[in-house]
Amino acid sequence: MKTIIALLLFVTITHAEIQLALNWKAEPQFGGFYKALLNKDFPLKIIEGGSGTPTIQMLTFGKIDLAIVSAEEILISNEKNPKNQVVALFAVFQTNPQVLITKKERELKSIKEILMTPGIISAQSGLTYVQYLKNKYPDSKAKWVPYNGGITGLVQTQNYAQQGFLTSEPLLAKKQGLSVASFLISEEGFNPYTTVVAIRKTDLKTKKLEILQGIKSFKKGWIEYLNNPQSTNEYMAGINKSIDFDGFQKSALAQKSLILDPSNPSGVHSVGQMSVDRWRSLIQTLIDLKVLKKTLDPQDQFYNSESL
Amino acid sequence: MKKWSPSFFIGFTFILIWELCFYFEILSESLFPPPHLVLKVIFDSPQEWFESFLQTSTGSVLGFSLSLIIGVIAAFLFSLSDFLKKSFLPLAIFFQTVPIIAIAPLLVIYFGFGMPTVVAASFIVSFFPVLASFLLGLENIDQDKLELFKLYRATIWQTLIKLRLPSSFVSLYSGLKVAAGLSIIGAVAGEFVAGGGLGALIDEARTQQRVDRVFAALLLLSILGLTGLGFLKLIFKYIHQIRPFGENSKEFK
Repeated sequence: MKTIIALLLFVTITHAEIQLALNWKAEPQFGGFYKALLNKDFPLKIIEGGSGTPTIQMLTFGKIDLAIVSAEEILISNEKNPKNQVVALFAVFQTNPQVLITKKERELKSIKEILMTPGIISAQSGLTYVQYLKNKYPDSKAKWVPYNGGITGLVQTQNYAQQGFLTSEPLLAKKQGLSVASFLISEEGFNPYTTVVAIRKTDLKTKKLEILQGIKSFKKGWIEYLNNPQSTNEYMAGINKSIDFDGFQKSALAQKSLILDPSNPSGVHSVGQMSVDRWRSLIQTLIDLKVLKKTLDPQDQFYNSESL
Repeated sequence: MKKWSPSFFIGFTFILIWELCFYFEILSESLFPPPHLVLKVIFDSPQEWFESFLQTSTGSVLGFSLSLIIGVIAAFLFSLSDFLKKSFLPLAIFFQTVPIIAIAPLLVIYFGFGMPTVVAASFIVSFFPVLASFLLGLENIDQDKLELFKLYRATIWQTLIKLRLPSSFVSLYSGLKVAAGLSIIGAVAGEFVAGGGLGALIDEARTQQRVDRVFAALLLLSILGLTGLGFLKLIFKYIHQIRPFGENSKEFK
């Protein structure tokens, strides 16, 4: 009997899945993680999220093992929860894919022009980049309103701009026959790592081997996905029916240049890596915006996986 | 005062336990900010909170008023005509079953950003309790009294005003109490998508992991709800003093 119990315990422990909570549905922005799931060389379980899923808080308070968050969420959380620190393991986007989009017929040439022209900008309230832009352009003539998903407002309203992901809303607009102009927030000087895998610092210490295996698996998954996304896109299109396979393919293609670091000579092999300078710069920006009250050590905010 | 003391005692004990949990680090400050920190958040920027409180109050009061007017008129008409009731009541039930969170983004498209959407959301969720409770009161009357009215050949209007309306007093009050709370929930849901008020502050605070600000907004919403219920009770108590319609109800004694 004891042998059976021990055996069961062994099987349970060795097959314990590492849960990765997404902050949205299966989309190409998570393509490499789904590829890692399909590769099965790491006991990964992906949990899809939805609008407003508080993945950072779920992670901080131990409800999940790994979470997809943004770099600024990690910093805010670490300032608020000094006893439950989280660390970035893997950053998908080297260039922040968040954009403001507006109709091409408005002939606006930049985010500055969108803000300085009377009209509406629809964005989720509380987003750090919204604060950044409000701070950068205090004399803005546009009115900020809440974002309610999709692109209906853009289709129906004149003088309208809205938030989006370069890999999603602009493609959706194009599919609906709408001619739009997209402007990257990063071009305004706000470029935090986005779609970042984070972990609790305590778990990083106690489960180091599994985590290292996880990072390797994510990296392999992303390299394979960037080189050939087709099979993974087919799999994700089966889960997320709101985008067709063609949409997945186009989105995967659009995001490639944002995931690869143009300054890194290792090309696709540098995927997921982070630098201390960029974390330092983000901390300073958040302090300037009064989002952070005190400075944090940039080295403590991420795990350097360069050696992998 | 005696009537209120149990609530004060429970409330005080609850706050004390909460503060102690914070003091002994049983509850995390960032997940369950203690009451004193929640109050501090409000007093740090009172103007901002006051303006938001006022906006949500206006939205919910307008939504509630609309529900009261339309709900009462609809219940009157349904009580007078079975045909109207059978034709339109299923439509009214739609308002009860529709998840406001699902249709709120559509309301913005119909009514635009700002107050009209907030009022519409508030109305949609608070309309049905007024209609249902008032209709129940109008129909649930003493059959002996109804026979007496028929005996004296009272008109439909006379029966409505002198028999059905007084007998629906307590039931209408119950419906309005439910509607008052729902009108605030509807207004906040409207503010999530249309902007402004405490709803927008909650939405913003969620994104910024500011649970203390979420709790501060919830505190103000509770105050708004309690104030609304208090006003409602005062009005009904006043009516009861002039015309004791709800004579059997403990509520007005």
